[in-house]
Formats: sequence, structure tokens, C-alpha cells
Amino acid sequence: MLEISDLTVAYGGVIALENVSLSVPEGSITAVLGANGAGKTTLVRTISGLIKPRHGSVMLGTQQLVGRSPEAIARLGVGHVPEGHGIVSELTVDENLRLGGLWRRDRADQRVAIEEAYELFPPLRVRRAVHASNLSGGERQMLSIGRAMVARPTALLLDEPSLGLAGGLLAQIMQRLVALVTERKLSVLLIEQNARSALSVADQAVVLSLGKVELRDRADRLAGDDALRHAYLGF
Amino acid sequence: MHLFLIYTVDGITNGMVYAAVALALVMIWRATRIINYAQGAMAMFTTYIALIVIRHGAPYWLGFVVALATGLVIGAVTERVLVRPVESRPPLNAVILSLGVLILLEAIAPMLFGGQTQSFPVPVSNTDLLVGGTSLDISPFALFTIGAVLIAMLLLFLVFQRTTLGLRMRAAAFNPEIARILGIRVGRMLTLGWGLAALLGALAGMLAAPSVYLYPSNMDEVLVFGFTGAIIGGLESPVGAVAGAVGVGLALSYVSGYVGSDLAPLGGFAILIVVLMLRPQGLFSFGRQRQV
Repeated sequence: MLEISDLTVAYGGVIALENVSLSVPEGSITAVLGANGAGKTTLVRTISGLIKPRHGSVMLGTQQLVGRSPEAIARLGVGHVPEGHGIVSELTVDENLRLGGLWRRDRADQRVAIEEAYELFPPLRVRRAVHASNLSGGERQMLSIGRAMVARPTALLLDEPSLGLAGGLLAQIMQRLVALVTERKLSVLLIEQNARSALSVADQAVVLSLGKVELRDRADRLAGDDALRHAYLGF
Repeated sequence: MHLFLIYTVDGITNGMVYAAVALALVMIWRATRIINYAQGAMAMFTTYIALIVIRHGAPYWLGFVVALATGLVIGAVTERVLVRPVESRPPLNAVILSLGVLILLEAIAPMLFGGQTQSFPVPVSNTDLLVGGTSLDISPFALFTIGAVLIAMLLLFLVFQRTTLGLRMRAAAFNPEIARILGIRVGRMLTLGWGLAALLGALAGMLAAPSVYLYPSNMDEVLVFGFTGAIIGGLESPVGAVAGAVGVGLALSYVSGYVGSDLAPLGGFAILIVVLMLRPQGLFSFGRQRQV
């Protein structure tokens, strides 16, 4: 369970997030929707420790994440798939995957986890010795998700995974992700501008607007309510 | 023709010392985007410490090990204490900081060690090898110099490419933010990177001192030549830095042999200026301009 309460973040004097609260139960996906500048990326970057909030709390299970360094938060089980993939393009596919769990003590399980990532996204296996800079957009996204999974996280933060992906490929990746979520009891926070794709896989959704939670509901209800969709999501 | 051979051997030998400095500069540049102008002064410092150890009756090799170990510590402490606070600041702060460390070390050295020029011992003979009465034009110390730098490079290569520690260090250098969200303690990796670079610098100091002698600014020229090599190599590429530095060593040796030894340092600066004017991104890098 990932529980965010009363989170407020400001850049200088500008408020980016204001008293945001939301919880992501185990084995479920919460979509965070909203326009550019709504504070979506700020939210994930704050959870993973890259931005210090002004106040508020982020609990992963019984652990308080606020105040910890990004590396400590990763080690507590938060996987972050950053905006624009965040793969290290100077390294090979295999090296990128290994990076995901280098901090873990269990070296044998680390090898198993890497093998699982290749099984999850078979196109990566053929490309394992290739420099990540040579990957296609879809392969980069697979690598980024696979790398996060190598650390065996309990919470997974996905920042705009649809960016630059063709619809068919995105659906494929999302399908695998949904299977993982129930299997691993993951708490997934899915940041998306592409509301249609996000609502089709999410359990619940939160709409952010100018740093505030504007609306929260079950994903299927939000997708099914034409008036809400038009008003908040523009489709 | 015989002279050419002598100059070539000399050029390669000196070039390997510059290569160690160049490689140290590249390591620090890649990890923290800082040109460590104090690289030479740090090496001067560790060489003095080695000299003290040796003067107290310890064998050369103990002095050698102490110099490298002190280099590791000085580099690590410099990163942790001085560089860390300016890392998120504008690049100019780091430039001024590293120039400050250079001036500081060269000012402290005469107080601690005396300002006069001192000779420095060699572990093996400095005179050319003879086989059956003919000179091989290379001394055991030159062979040691070339071999020691090659071994250091090989070890560094293996650490960076073949160990998980090296993978962590590379990730921390290439993309610190991503490394952090993957649980890598980037700060420690940078500290270690600076330590290893200063260790390499300390090696250069030990190898240069028998020929340039030891005094507080004895490494200034070596730093400029190493820097030139690193710039020729594009600053990003370890292989380019080594090739560039050996090239500088050869060029200087030919200038000093055929034209006049007084002109060698001038030749070094000339190469640096020409490269910075014509190809500031280096001969071995592509695209992306750099601010110097």
C-alpha cells in the first residue's frame, strides 16, 4: 500500500502540488490524469525522493518515505519508470537491467529477476548486448519497466509510459503490466496524459488540476461517464 | 634514423606519464563535469610524501605504495569536502574551486617540504639497456614507466567494464539521477572516482619526478601536456585521452630533439591552443560542443 497524504510541493514560491492525498492499494493501479503542468511528474518525483516536499507524508507500508534520499527510497521497494524512459543510453541492455538490482544482496535472485525481465519482454533478449541508444521507443519503455522490476519493488511509479509509443505496442506493454500487478501484488501509480489508455487498465483514477486533486473515482466509472470525461479529460 | 628512434622512445615514455594525467582528468570530467586543474598539484603533494618515506630509509616501493594510497585519500577527501558543495552550482564555481586547490597546494608545499628543487630516486636503472655491447635506447626505468601506466590502465578498464562496482560508477557518471532512483549511492561513487583519478595522478607524479625533479610546481607542465592530450581525445574518451597524450609526448620529443629543447613546452602550449581553436570538441568525439 502506497499512501500519500497532504502532500504539498513548491518550486520557490510557486505551488506545484497542494495537499494531495491518495492511496494505491496492493495489487491495483491508480491512474493520475491531468493536463501538462498539473503536477503529475512532480508527484512521482516527490515520491521517489528527487524533490523535497514542503509538507505531507508518503508511506510505503509502514515506512515514511519523505525525508529519505532517492537511493534509500529505491531500496525500500519503490520502482520508478521515469518520464522519457530514463534508460542509460551509454550502457548495454543487459547492463541497464543489471543496474536495476545492483544494491540487492541476493545475487542468485538478482540473476533470476533479470531472466524474468527478459521473459516479460522477449524483444529485449535479442538485443541484450546492444547499446541502449540503439533501441526503439517501445524497446526503451520495455527496458525501463523491466529494469524497475528487477529490483522486485512493491510500488511502481510509471511516468507517461505511453509517450512516443504506437497504440498497439502500448496496449501490449500495458497488458503485461496488468498481469504483473496482480501476480506481484504491486501498488502502481500510473501517470498519464493519454487518459483513454490509462483508464482502460487502471482500477481507480485521480484527476490533477493545477496541483490539486480535482476528482477521484473508479476508473471504469470515469471512463463510462460522458459528462465527466468531457469536462476533465477532453475525450 | 637512430636519433628518430631515440626521440620516439622518449616521446612514448613521457607520453605515458601524460596519459596517466589525461586519463585522470577524463575520469573526473566524466564523473563530475569538472576539469581538475589541481590534478598535477595533488600528484606533487603525494610525490613529496613518498620522498619523505624514502628519505626515512624505507624502500622505494613502500614510498610508491604510500604515494598511491595518499593520492586515493586526497582525491576522495577533495571530492567529499570541497567538490560536493559546488556540484549543483554553475560550472564556473567548480573551475575556480579546482584552481583554488591548485594554488593552495602549491603554496602549502614549500612550507611543509621546503621550496628547493630535489632529486627523486628511481627504482630501477635510468641508463639505457645494453645487449651485447649495443644500446637498446631504452632504460629499465622507461620500461617500468610504460609498463606501470599500461597496467594501471588495464586494471581501471577491468574495474569499470567487468565489475558491478564499475557498472555502478559508470551509471553514476553517465546519469546520476537515474542511478539514484535505481538505488545506487551516487555520492560514494563520485568520491571513489575522484580517489581513483588522484591515485592515477599520484602514479604520474612518481614517474615524472626523476626527470622533472621535485619542487612545488614540478607537475605544472605535465598537467598542461596531459590536459592537451585529454582535450585532443575529446575529454569524454579514455582511449582518446591516452592516444592524445602519447601523441603530445611524441610531438614534444621531436620538437625538443630536432628543433631545440627550449621550445618543447612552447610546442605543448601551441598544440593546445590550435586544438582548442580548431576542434574544441576533440579529435575523438562527435557533435556536442563543449564550453571550456
